Amino acid sequence: MSQQNLLEVRGLKKYFEVGRPSLFSRTVRHVHAVDGVDFNLRKSEVIALVGESGCGKSTLSLLLMGLEDPTEGVITYEGRDITHLNDHERKGLRRKIQMVFQDPYESLNPTQTIEEIVTEPLIVHGFHGTREERNTRVTKAMEDAGLKPAEVYMKRHPHELSGGQRQRVVIASALVLEPEIILADEPVSMLDVSIRAEIINLLAELRITRQIAVIFITHDLGSVGFFADRVAVMYLGRIVEIGTMLDVLERPQHPYTKALLSVIPVPNPRMRRERIILKGETPNPIDLPTGCRFHPRCPVAIATCKAGDPSLITITKTHQAACLLLTK
Amino acid sequence: MEAQIKTTVPDTSRFQDFWGIFRKNYMGLVGLIMLFIAIFVAVFAPILSPYDPSSTQDVTTSDIYNAPSTSHWLGTDDAGQDVLTNFIFGARVSLTIGFFAAFISLAIGGVLGIVAGFYGGRTEELLMRFTDIMLVIPDLPLMMVIIALTKPSIFNIIIVIGALYWTTTARVVRSQTLAVKSRKFVLRARAIGAGKGHIIRHHILPLVLPILVVQAVLVVSSAVLAESTLSFLGLGDPTALSWGQMLNYAFGRGAMSTGAWWALVVPGFGIVWVVLGLTLLGQGLEQVLNPRLDTHHLMPSRPTVKSEAAQRSSEKSLLEVKNLSINYINEGKQPARAVENISFALKKGELIGLVGESGCGKTTLMLGLLRLLPAAGQIVNGQVYFKDQEITALSDDELNKIRWNGVSIVFQGAMNALNPVRTVGDQIAETIIKHLPDFPKEKIPARVSELLELVGIAAEHKDHYAHQYSGGMRQRAMIAMALACDPEVVIADEPTTALDVMIQAQILELLDDLRKKLGLAIIFVTHDLGVVAEMCDRVLVMYGGVTAEYAEVDAIYNAPKHPYTQELLKAFPDLTKPKKKLSSIPGYPPRLDALPDGCRFAPRCPAAFARCHTEQPILHELSSTHIVSCHLVEASK
Repeated sequence: MSQQNLLEVRGLKKYFEVGRPSLFSRTVRHVHAVDGVDFNLRKSEVIALVGESGCGKSTLSLLLMGLEDPTEGVITYEGRDITHLNDHERKGLRRKIQMVFQDPYESLNPTQTIEEIVTEPLIVHGFHGTREERNTRVTKAMEDAGLKPAEVYMKRHPHELSGGQRQRVVIASALVLEPEIILADEPVSMLDVSIRAEIINLLAELRITRQIAVIFITHDLGSVGFFADRVAVMYLGRIVEIGTMLDVLERPQHPYTKALLSVIPVPNPRMRRERIILKGETPNPIDLPTGCRFHPRCPVAIATCKAGDPSLITITKTHQAACLLLTK
Repeated sequence: MEAQIKTTVPDTSRFQDFWGIFRKNYMGLVGLIMLFIAIFVAVFAPILSPYDPSSTQDVTTSDIYNAPSTSHWLGTDDAGQDVLTNFIFGARVSLTIGFFAAFISLAIGGVLGIVAGFYGGRTEELLMRFTDIMLVIPDLPLMMVIIALTKPSIFNIIIVIGALYWTTTARVVRSQTLAVKSRKFVLRARAIGAGKGHIIRHHILPLVLPILVVQAVLVVSSAVLAESTLSFLGLGDPTALSWGQMLNYAFGRGAMSTGAWWALVVPGFGIVWVVLGLTLLGQGLEQVLNPRLDTHHLMPSRPTVKSEAAQRSSEKSLLEVKNLSINYINEGKQPARAVENISFALKKGELIGLVGESGCGKTTLMLGLLRLLPAAGQIVNGQVYFKDQEITALSDDELNKIRWNGVSIVFQGAMNALNPVRTVGDQIAETIIKHLPDFPKEKIPARVSELLELVGIAAEHKDHYAHQYSGGMRQRAMIAMALACDPEVVIADEPTTALDVMIQAQILELLDDLRKKLGLAIIFVTHDLGVVAEMCDRVLVMYGGVTAEYAEVDAIYNAPKHPYTQELLKAFPDLTKPKKKLSSIPGYPPRLDALPDGCRFAPRCPAAFARCHTEQPILHELSSTHIVSCHLVEASK
């Protein structure tokens, strides 16, 4: 374990009980939402977690935020085990890891003013300072989030702002606690294309100006582009490929990554490519397939894929993928 | 990188907003005035009443049950006292009991409801079972027993009514708390680190309060009624004369037999007045706090202005739209020009992409094509042709023959568009029966299976319900439904927007296959430029209700002329250039009821000059296949 890692995740699992298959059955069935995830996050690094719905990325974000308790595994922050903390210990840590949610229309309380929303984290964390100090901090957070000048927005309510502005308010209320990590769960998927870039650019700027590390959760491999340092692709509760942005986007190794990349629309009709369209949909995470969990949909699966469950195989120092074909 | 500072929404407090809407709600307003009058009477009782109720003036038998006269406007009662005076002072007693009892019951119900809803689990189970038990116990007999066993005083009556009338409040508050608790801002507050107390105070309570206010009004009215009932039955406080008690005395002491109707009618009127006022106010408040869109019923709209039949393009097209403009009528304000002067044509087997951001009028345009606009939407100009028929001039019956048989729609949000309590196969069969009444009944099941297989769903799934389908399958079922009557044109309204990329690719592939196999013409509505590049023949880019650019797909992506198209392409991530930094278009699309004077894109346009802010550009035809609405094009021509 290296010292420079801000956050380390080892063997993280989260199973939800979904009841018994029949009334008299002794076994309880589980949803394997997150099923053995490992990754590291360095200071001011941007990592993108990419996957379709049902891959466990949202559960993973709740685990990292301490809003769900993991079934197994360890999360460490600056070398300290934070997997199971009580409310009091957790509260101190919350300042360090803040979250930005998907839907800026839903994640703001309609009865609060923008000022109340951005000040709230300070009140919750018992900020001891004068009124001026508090105002300075709120104003700075809002202006760093691109709400300039801050006074214009202070007394407004969320319904008076556009989607992009609301997402900036959410980011401002995360920044006010001066976090080390921002966990952004699909922060732009609800926004219009023309303003998505401004939110992504804002997050990219914050890592430089405030040295904030970003965990960017998305279903859209195309949107991680220039923004992410590393990309992790998830399928059915596991990371199936992880590497630098160029490793994954330009030299994908796992058949699932290759398929995902091939179907991302390219805004150029001269480049209509051969698409690898997978059949069916992600199976439900209750009854996992045997062997490699991707083999029933894999276009290049061979007989051994039904038996062996591949773990991540190192391709280069920065690039790993979990596919049996890579061992050949 | 700076957000646009100007917003068109003025700063108003929530109260002003509320009052603005409430003022127009006549029912609520009448209720409020009625309640105010009652409270006014109660508060100023000593000034308003002609006599002093406590004065023990000499009462002789000739004073009993005197008919209304100049000295006693509403007559006298069984004790020879002035009915008007008793009525006025009775308002005090009735309202005091009503308000205090309601206060107690709201406090109990509110706290129980919030605690049960917020904490859930065992706590909720326990509290709600207790509530259920209280709910099934008949209130009136229980109240009578309690009051009869204790001393019937105002205080006791308030406590008993308060302690028994909280059950509905508790249930309503609990369900509202549950709804608020599941909203994302509560999760966000937890992520910030807020404790339970903080979340209840700052996030749950402000959203439960409006419901509590409505509930309060209704509870006051039931408390007033409960008190009247108790008093009428002789269980009222003998030292304080309420309306119920006036009724009790009059009824028990021969007012009926002596024909002294005033002694009964007057207190009865008071009770009805207050209860009616409160009920009206409660309903009015509820309408304001939970508004329902009562204007949103479907009404076929025909052009209000009959323009001359336009010159149709010489080539035969399936669907042709000529200078179509649609307004939304906005009472007392300028109409919102949602769609203005849109023209395009669609041939057999063609796929046209209709691209624009939310609020640019693309859904309005689409609904306008089949005259499915909500009542406020009016086609003010232009024509829509389907083959040789002018849709905009047809009668409703004729139009119904084209809807679904000629042109059908795949709606956005497949989960909401399917009926959850009927099987998917049934719903497809229903579509066939409704639109093709002559279709032989015995062939329908086979046709349903055929349609499902056409869109890639195994026929055995036809007996399943929508919730048993995955997101992708639901969207396929919607497509099957749109194909049920062999239409020639299909309008697909953001058919892939909420879907994962892989499912999106599957649906796109399916639509492309269907187009080739069945020769369908498709209008593909989307906000995603990338999606249409893959399969469209032509693209119409809309902005603020007007055409920004309309051209062959290659020109749109490789030689765009309108600054909006150019900027939109720069904002779109391109996987072939992963290191390219994305740029965004500063500012936000215009609101359709507050459009800028000149070009609608001018406020956000990087190339705008003076003329753009004053004059709306016309549609410039660069070539027969390329139309751009921009002043810059004219300069370069």
